[in-house]
Amino acid sequence: MTDAELIETLKAALGDKVEEISNPARRRLFLKVAPRNLVAVTARLRDQYGVVFLSTISGIDTGETFEILYHFSTPETDFNLRTEIPKAHPHVDSITSVIPGAILYEREIQEMFGLTVDNIPDGRRLLLSDDWPDGQYPLRKDWKHVRPQEVIPGGKS
Amino acid sequence: MSFEIPIGPQHPALKEPISLRMTVEGEVITGVDIRLGYNHRGVEKVAEEKNWIQNLYLTERICGICSHSHSTCYAQGVEKLMEITPPRRGLYIRYLVSELERVHSHLLWLGVAGHEAGFDSFFMYVWRDREIVMDLLEMISGNRVHYAINTIGGVRRDLDAAQVAKALEGLITLKKRSEYYLRIGATEPSFVARIAGVGFLSLEKAIALCAVGPTARASGWPRDVRKEDPYAVYDEVDFEVATADTCDVLGRVVVRVKELLESYKICEQILRNLPAGDIAVKAPRKAKPGEVVSRYEAPRGENIHYIKSNGTDKPERLKVRAPTLGNYPATVEMLRKGFIADIPLIFAAIDPCICCAERSVTLVSAASGEESVVRMSDLRRQAIARHRNAPVKRNAVWPL
Amino acid sequence: MAALRTLLYLVVYPGLLFLFVYSTFCEWFDRKVYARLQNRMGPTHTGRFGLLQPIADFVKLLAKEDVVPDAADKRLFSVLPVIGLAVVATAGLLLPVWNFDLAAPSFTSFSGDIIVILYLLSLPTLVLFLAAWSSTNLFSTIGGARVLTMLFGYEVPLFLAVLSPAILADSWRLAEIAAFYQQKPLLLLTNLLGFGVAVIAVQAKLERTPFDIPHAETEIVGGTFTEYSGKKLALFRLTFDIEMVVASGLLAAVFLGGFPGGAVIGFLHFIVKTLFVIFLLSLIRAMTSRIRIDQVVTLAWKYLAPLAVLQLLITILLKGLLS
Repeated sequence: MTDAELIETLKAALGDKVEEISNPARRRLFLKVAPRNLVAVTARLRDQYGVVFLSTISGIDTGETFEILYHFSTPETDFNLRTEIPKAHPHVDSITSVIPGAILYEREIQEMFGLTVDNIPDGRRLLLSDDWPDGQYPLRKDWKHVRPQEVIPGGKS
Repeated sequence: MSFEIPIGPQHPALKEPISLRMTVEGEVITGVDIRLGYNHRGVEKVAEEKNWIQNLYLTERICGICSHSHSTCYAQGVEKLMEITPPRRGLYIRYLVSELERVHSHLLWLGVAGHEAGFDSFFMYVWRDREIVMDLLEMISGNRVHYAINTIGGVRRDLDAAQVAKALEGLITLKKRSEYYLRIGATEPSFVARIAGVGFLSLEKAIALCAVGPTARASGWPRDVRKEDPYAVYDEVDFEVATADTCDVLGRVVVRVKELLESYKICEQILRNLPAGDIAVKAPRKAKPGEVVSRYEAPRGENIHYIKSNGTDKPERLKVRAPTLGNYPATVEMLRKGFIADIPLIFAAIDPCICCAERSVTLVSAASGEESVVRMSDLRRQAIARHRNAPVKRNAVWPL
Repeated sequence: MAALRTLLYLVVYPGLLFLFVYSTFCEWFDRKVYARLQNRMGPTHTGRFGLLQPIADFVKLLAKEDVVPDAADKRLFSVLPVIGLAVVATAGLLLPVWNFDLAAPSFTSFSGDIIVILYLLSLPTLVLFLAAWSSTNLFSTIGGARVLTMLFGYEVPLFLAVLSPAILADSWRLAEIAAFYQQKPLLLLTNLLGFGVAVIAVQAKLERTPFDIPHAETEIVGGTFTEYSGKKLALFRLTFDIEMVVASGLLAAVFLGGFPGGAVIGFLHFIVKTLFVIFLLSLIRAMTSRIRIDQVVTLAWKYLAPLAVLQLLITILLKGLLS
């Protein structure tokens, strides 16, 4: 099935759950979905199109919203599910019920962007150190790294 | 009696820091918890403050072993964003280095697997032969680890006929040795007793937990980006995807050695069909706004870069997913119900590259204020002086 | 004169001095063989051909900081390395090298000394277990448990294999067993099976690959030795080296016809035969990978013990035929 045919069947199958489908390059499909439809669309893709493999989840801070991209791939094509989360209400549903392997990526997104992933089975901190201050989310655009004052034990600082 | 043993952050079985907390019942593991973050350098954040060409060298430093895979993945993405096509000779050389890197990485892994199983003789032999491919890489790129041969729009160094001949000669030796290792790895009784049936990962679990690379292929899932999404030269060369259906560490050993043999095949085809022409085109300073998903089959599995450009000379966002991170959930599954003695083997069998898997967060400098500072200009001056008096190219010899 | 001979026996040959020098030489030999089999050079730097490297390592360890963990049983923790060394050095005195009289038992050669030497060679294992347990480290504890588990595996095959030549020789005295086989060297061939079993069991006793499970560094860090450092670790390493010499000496005395010919020629016999056994041990070490603890027990009871019993049967049948 070529990408163009696939887009047609996807449009028919998913209906208004998908807001937009684009195909900027061969084997690259970008699907835009609303956050509330995310889990349903993922489940539908898995069951009907055999989309079982999640490469990773990328997050982008666009100012007012967070853009979350779920990069799936099958032997035939790549699906990139895009969803936009308003910063005012940073919540996204976990897709681990559909794709169990998503857990580490969701934990990563959660602490890097200060999102809350709802229904995540294990939401503990993964990457940041234990003494990392709350409310600091490194991959947000407004976060700037401030080098801490170095303390030399027993010497002048 | 149940107690918790810490494997890491510092442990002889781990070459890089990661924390695995095992709950054990005698010698049997009942629970595993993974904690990352000991090796974070904030690459993704730094990338947003550097320009396209600087980032090429930054991505190269994500990993020491598969340095070329990250920079190639990044470069091929940026080339799409900039809408330039590298000349074919450049591409051939770039993917020749790719395959040689796969060879060196798999040989390295094979030795480490032997060492983790307490089979040090295997380790010594494999690493001796790995020197051949290291010498070839040094001959081609000038460096043994960070090859820095990529540039946006092609590669930086050309190959001459003598180098091609030398590389072909080295490949013959390597092929002979690898066939021998395939025999040893799959038949030596004490080694096979250690790896057969260990770290079982069924096909269903491998799919559910999104395992990648040789780990997935050893469970009978023939996923290979080179085959399903053939980038650049891979639709012009003939090779097969190596798989195994034993779903254990033995299968992962066999898959990797078979991949070695496939890589020799690819290298040979590339070297024999090297097209004439330029090796690079000039790249613009800025990229058009847009986004690109770049996939690459690194030695450890699928490597994916998501690059978003906002029209300036710096990326808006660079997301890197190294294969090791994708294999962690599968590792937890494999470790469960295993023996303590199997921990290093199972963990090593995914070929973990922790510095790959951890990139984000912050930069902490540990240098004390007393030390002298080397300025960028000093470094530049030194580099120029050094290249002016560059020594004669080292002639690689491999007596066997 | 007798007192001088005894003193010489205790201190010089085969006493502490000889054991120390020869065991470091054997460690060098083992390392060199192991390295050459792996296509490496092995020690080359210290002394001629790197001969002094084990001594240099020993001295270096002596000079290192000696840490005793707070939670450890300090007295036990400190005294155990010395006990281990003393036990194996005592076992060394029982080897029938030169100062014995076949007709008259002395304090180093008496009926039943083969049992005593086997017993003394088992003691370091218990010392290791106690050392692991008293250091209270998690990895040490697991290592200690593994030491004991392995002990139950290899000890019985070793005893059966070593005692069957004694049954054929009809004596429990090492000197007499050796003398018996010196008279009838062809009978040594009937013990080859037992020799094989004994070499493998000794490899396990010395905790060398494929049986280096109690201190497998990639699994449980240093295992039994995790908390040991400095002088104490040096003593433990020396203990293992001396144990290797004594165990190979025992195998040479029982299976290879002992060390005939008095002090000088007997000494040559000792060197050649122990080095042969150590060469076999190094060969096994280079050719195998570490196996799991459950596989050790399986190997010992499924293969080694039946083979040892088979050897015993052969010996008894042969004894019936001969008499």
